[in-house]
Amino acid sequence: MIQVENLTKRYGQHVAIDSLNFTVDSGEILGFLGPNGAGKTTTMNILTGYISATEGRALVDGVDILEEPEKVKQMIGYLPEFPPLYLDMTVDEYLDFVSDIKRVSQTDKKQSLEKIMDLVRIGDVRKRLIKNLSKGYKQRVGLAQALVGNPKVLVLDEPTVGLDPKQIIDIRNLISELGKDHTIILSSHILSEVSAVCERVIIINKGSIVASDTPDNLSKGLDDGTKLLIRVAGPAKQALKAIKEIQGVKFAEAQGSKERDTVDIAIESVPEIDIRKSLFYAMSKASYPIMMMKSMGLTLEDIFLQVTNQETEVR
Amino acid sequence: MLAVFKKELRAYFTSMTGYIFMASFLFFTGLFFTLLNLGGGSPNFNNVLSNIQFIFLLAVPMLTMRLIAEEAKQKTDQLLLTSPLPLRDIVVGKYLAAVSVFLGALVITFLYPMIMSTMGEIAWSEIIGGYIGFFLFGCALIAVGLFISSVTENQVVAAVLTFTALLVLWLIDAIIQGLPIDRTSGIFFAGALVVALAAVIYFTTKNIYVSAGTSLVGLVAILAAYIFKPAFYDGLMPRVLQWFSLYSRYGEFDMGVLSLSPMVYYITFSSAFVFLTIRMLEKKRWS
Repeated sequence: MIQVENLTKRYGQHVAIDSLNFTVDSGEILGFLGPNGAGKTTTMNILTGYISATEGRALVDGVDILEEPEKVKQMIGYLPEFPPLYLDMTVDEYLDFVSDIKRVSQTDKKQSLEKIMDLVRIGDVRKRLIKNLSKGYKQRVGLAQALVGNPKVLVLDEPTVGLDPKQIIDIRNLISELGKDHTIILSSHILSEVSAVCERVIIINKGSIVASDTPDNLSKGLDDGTKLLIRVAGPAKQALKAIKEIQGVKFAEAQGSKERDTVDIAIESVPEIDIRKSLFYAMSKASYPIMMMKSMGLTLEDIFLQVTNQETEVR
Repeated sequence: MLAVFKKELRAYFTSMTGYIFMASFLFFTGLFFTLLNLGGGSPNFNNVLSNIQFIFLLAVPMLTMRLIAEEAKQKTDQLLLTSPLPLRDIVVGKYLAAVSVFLGALVITFLYPMIMSTMGEIAWSEIIGGYIGFFLFGCALIAVGLFISSVTENQVVAAVLTFTALLVLWLIDAIIQGLPIDRTSGIFFAGALVVALAAVIYFTTKNIYVSAGTSLVGLVAILAAYIFKPAFYDGLMPRVLQWFSLYSRYGEFDMGVLSLSPMVYYITFSSAFVFLTIRMLEKKRWS
């Protein structure tokens, strides 16, 4: 559906994005992840035709954005980082205007707007001025705007930024819902969000792609050992000694005491052996009851930091 | 284009701008009508039109400052520029909206000649000629304002710059009077133009070779003109500035003469600035 080839954007000496290559299949939800200033917004602005690339090209459904911009723009709905709202209009007026500039036919207009307002649940504020709406509603009106004209592709730049937790869940569910019949590119620096809704993640840092895979594969690929955190009731030294004797344990370290008469121990083991059972028996034999055991598998957060840091080290 | 036009028109009248523009325009027209026509007992309405031209200095910035600057500031340009609408339609739609508000105010002032016509014979053809000139003149200035609004993201800056530009246009005839017309200053002026052109090329393309090439060609041309036709430089500076003298071309309309050349001049001037606005927005995308 979307093909990006060697996309580069330079602002004078500064390279905002550096020969990006990726494709998005039809119906896929792609997450774009990266720290602030990594080039996410720039990439999205180029894809939607807001700015142009210095080099390379972007194709949507086989059509080059530079050659037939109007055709491509018809296929894309864009929610920029700051929703482009006219604050002096009511929601109805605004969406009506958007329908007109997106060339929705007059006969379908009313019906399709009803449907969109239902979907993003802004029907109850339709007569209100946009400037008086809360941030959550504004964001949803922005999303409604992107949906006008029923585009095949949705490009959403940090769609949940500034929302409260409930609204975030709402928008996330909405995006999953939309993902059924749209191709979606979504950017975020909130990692849990990306792993919750996206089928594939591209991590971008300093204008280059540093990783691209499913969220699961990403965590697997970078996992170089299994980490456990346990809390046992007993003296630290003896407990540590007992743990280190278990087969498969690479490393164990006491991490202080957070509860009376207990000690927290971080354990790293070789990935082939699951040490949890032997850990239980060992502690039981030494009569140091295990109060808590928690897996510390790499979260997307860790991966993200790891990948972006590696990148900096290489440079 | 119609959608943008309607939106802009509505924006004028959902904010204060449209009303303030109309009110101030109508107030001054009414004032001069009362003073000159009613008070002075004169049937010459064109006199009123040429007397209220100063109001453009304030009214045009008011009308145009918001047009594009505010879109950029509120980031709503992202909506317009990522919609399937061609850039041309967006800019022309905005321009026509501003022109329509101006035209609306102008149509209301048509009441004054009508009031006069109840009291005796008046020269309708002259008045209509004056109106056409006044309208085209206003359109040209609005195009300048539109362009300046695309240069900055700040409404106030746009307003101040537009005011300054209109003031220079207003004073240009007076400036021309005081300019040197000798050959040497003409040559220096031509040189300065070439350097300015090269600088503009350098800042837009960042290509030192193209820019240097342009200045070289320009300097050769200056030299060639000096050798073969030195009279070209006599009074060059006033001649060039005369191209931008919008006010001096109003004279014929003032007398009620509808002549083609100033009309074509105003329309060309307006189109050029609307075109420049489109280029300006285009350029922002590429930089």
